[in-house]
Amino acid sequence: MGNWGFIGLAYGLAALALVGYLVLLKGRLRSARDELEALERDGGRRKA
Amino acid sequence: MEERTVVTSVPWGPEPAPAPVADRPSATARVLGGAAALVLTTGLYVGLAVVPPDAVQGEVQRIMYLHVPSIVTAYLAFAVVFCASLLYLWKRDLRYDAVAVSSAEIGVLFTGITLATGSIWGKPTWGVWWTWDARLTLTAILFTIYVGYLMLRAFAEEPQAGARYGAVLAIVGFLDIPLNHMAVQWWRTLHQPSSILRPGGPSVASVMLVPLAINFAGLVLLYTYLLLERIRLERVRRRTAELTLKRGRRG
Repeated sequence: MGNWGFIGLAYGLAALALVGYLVLLKGRLRSARDELEALERDGGRRKA
Repeated sequence: MEERTVVTSVPWGPEPAPAPVADRPSATARVLGGAAALVLTTGLYVGLAVVPPDAVQGEVQRIMYLHVPSIVTAYLAFAVVFCASLLYLWKRDLRYDAVAVSSAEIGVLFTGITLATGSIWGKPTWGVWWTWDARLTLTAILFTIYVGYLMLRAFAEEPQAGARYGAVLAIVGFLDIPLNHMAVQWWRTLHQPSSILRPGGPSVASVMLVPLAINFAGLVLLYTYLLLERIRLERVRRRTAELTLKRGRRG
């Protein structure tokens, strides 16, 4: 592997890690919000 | 007669009623995210296409424009964990704990990037992917300490106990950072001495400081954006736990 191969590998891995973390974080946020909304809906129905 | 304990508060202590959690990132977070993307794209262009290659190391030195800002951002993230943990132990307010656990996760991400990019740079420069040099070993220990911190938090059955033990571990673990920074001066290591944060000012050519500074600014913006989003996740989770507990109490 030449110098630019190592550079590509380093920058590529870092980009993958950062974008991957961001996508996972958004997914975790979405599912946590869904869970909270379901709980709140359920609570509202019980009160009614 | 059997004595019964009445639970009067949520497991993480007497907190005021939480504010509703926003559905979308705040305007500040969106601006930070956009600015991070813009600044990092500029830094990538300047570091890879504008500045000349290093006279000794050649093109591969360009990895430093990512490696160095990445570890400094990780240090910043762990400094936030350190301060938030101290504040949590002092005030026992779980909002500080939410900042600590969120920042620790992002710090681990940046430390992982530092270790990976350093290893990739080490192969063509030193001829090995890894060596048990003081700086490298202490960075690996730093990574392990905060992965351990996150595991401790994930497996704690009592949120308050997890927050308390985590805070102590985070504070003790932070001692690794000054040790890591000074390692290249205290011991004869393969890793080169500090070339930027050193007495007498930076030893690298000023043209090379430009992409380093741009990428550092970009990564700090990205860190702040990720931190705000990760704290939002923590708030949603805690609100869910609180509601679940209330429902359980009502039967």
